[in-house]
Amino acid sequence: MRIVFISLMTVLLLLASRPAGGLVTDLSNKRIEIRYSFDGAELILFGAVGSSAVDPVNDAFDVVVVVRGPEADTVVRRKENVGGIWINNDNLVFPAAPGYYAVAASRPLVDIAHPTVFASYGIGFDNLPLIARSSQGLAEPDPEFRQALYRLRASENLYRQEVDSVSLVAEGLFRTDVHLPANVPVGEFIVETFVFQEGSLKARNRIRLNVDKEGFERAAYDFAHGYPFWYGLTAVLVALGAGWLAGVLGKK
Amino acid sequence: MPLYLPIAELSMDVFLVVGMGAVVGFLSGMFGVGGGFLMTPILIFAGVPPAVAVATESNEITAASVSGALAHWRRQGIDVKMGSVLIVGGAIGSFFGAQVFTYLKSLGQVDLMISLAYVVFLGSVGGLMFWESVRAILRQHRGYIPPKVSREDRHKAWIHMLPFKMRFRKSKLYISALLPLLIGMLVGVLAAIMGVGGGFIMVPAMIYILGMPTNVVVGTSLFQIIFVTALTTIFHSVNTQTVDIFLAVLLLFGAVIGAQVGARVGFKLKGEHLRALLAMMVLLVCIKMGFGLVVEPDELFSVAEVSAAGAGH
Repeated sequence: MRIVFISLMTVLLLLASRPAGGLVTDLSNKRIEIRYSFDGAELILFGAVGSSAVDPVNDAFDVVVVVRGPEADTVVRRKENVGGIWINNDNLVFPAAPGYYAVAASRPLVDIAHPTVFASYGIGFDNLPLIARSSQGLAEPDPEFRQALYRLRASENLYRQEVDSVSLVAEGLFRTDVHLPANVPVGEFIVETFVFQEGSLKARNRIRLNVDKEGFERAAYDFAHGYPFWYGLTAVLVALGAGWLAGVLGKK
Repeated sequence: MPLYLPIAELSMDVFLVVGMGAVVGFLSGMFGVGGGFLMTPILIFAGVPPAVAVATESNEITAASVSGALAHWRRQGIDVKMGSVLIVGGAIGSFFGAQVFTYLKSLGQVDLMISLAYVVFLGSVGGLMFWESVRAILRQHRGYIPPKVSREDRHKAWIHMLPFKMRFRKSKLYISALLPLLIGMLVGVLAAIMGVGGGFIMVPAMIYILGMPTNVVVGTSLFQIIFVTALTTIFHSVNTQTVDIFLAVLLLFGAVIGAQVGARVGFKLKGEHLRALLAMMVLLVCIKMGFGLVVEPDELFSVAEVSAAGAGH
């Protein structure tokens, strides 16, 4: 990791020293493979701001990095007491909730720009365009459900806001850590970097990141979902074999 | 040592999983029960999604029952004809159970159904077993010996009036095939929705309703459980893709070791004491599940992804 970091920093330093450079970012790893030992991943995002975007040497600037995972139909359910027991009684479907959402910034967001600025670029959980689908059709979601979605995903480290910071390393250079937990959803992630100066956006760019099951894990998952009958049969045969083996060994 | 389970889609510690298998295996070896009714709740308490816990446990029970049934086969303790009728019933029950499971899963109510089924069945079976064993222990203290009831007398008159009579030589019975068919069906439904083998219902039903001789009861019940849990595994694989082979194999590995130790400990304890202990454990799991239903949860909300197949998580 350190070698990668140093070499990337060298490249970025060279890039940054060029006068025409805009905003350049790169990730320490653009393809995350979920294998049997997968326990989450830590990535480093490096970036450099050239002088055409802002004047990094003379003026202070701020960086906000937004990592957004694949969107999926997500249902939030609420338990209610029905006849003495707590059951899922009410639900709301968010058809496009990201499976992962992280915002890292060089300073607290309130100090970087006015909330309306973040709203216009859709930065921050509160500004995600989350429309809910309920029995009454599409509607602005009940804030309680929206808050629950954020709270539950945040407790699983899937939604992170104001937790990670972007550190400004040197003239025009910055870096931040991207934490992907073990239960991270698979799919295409978008990493967007925004550079702000004096409260307004100066530059933005986006790069992609792929998270996918690989090798044996991929094969097992594809088998189970693509050929469920044969998967089930295999599971039974494995169980029969294992049980027979246990019976033979147990007898001795 | 974390291991990523590709079907359950979560990372679990290998030693924790094998350890859980070993503890449940120890208890099932000691009490001579299948252990599904303990393993499924423990998996749920450990954070495995209930649907995955139930489906995966079916797969593990198949394996555990094979080794048990093999031992009974060697002792000629299996009534294959009776077992076959029970299997036909079990297949029908398991099919419908899996359908209900899939439907409730799409509604987000499968967890509720699993908990309710556990509370109802564990509560009633555990309660009866506890009452019976405590009475036996008390009677023994007083030196009371209950009069023996002969096998034939256990049959109620209505049982002999049922049609489709069939002869089961090994069980020395001439009864309606509808009875084992219905018992098999009930067990099949339970296997599909609770992730259990169903021995805790089937064994008493075989003794008290069918009147089977005790030497073929356990073997025949295990014989039925192999086929019904195997079918259940396939139904769940096809309907909801919730069977995790890797989780099942790890649990089995632990369970095989645990069962060997447990069986040795079990021999040293008296039958009625064992039954009282088992009953207490069944009731404990039931109470824990029941608390989850009636106590207001800290978090009222839950989040799940909705996929085309209705599979959560």
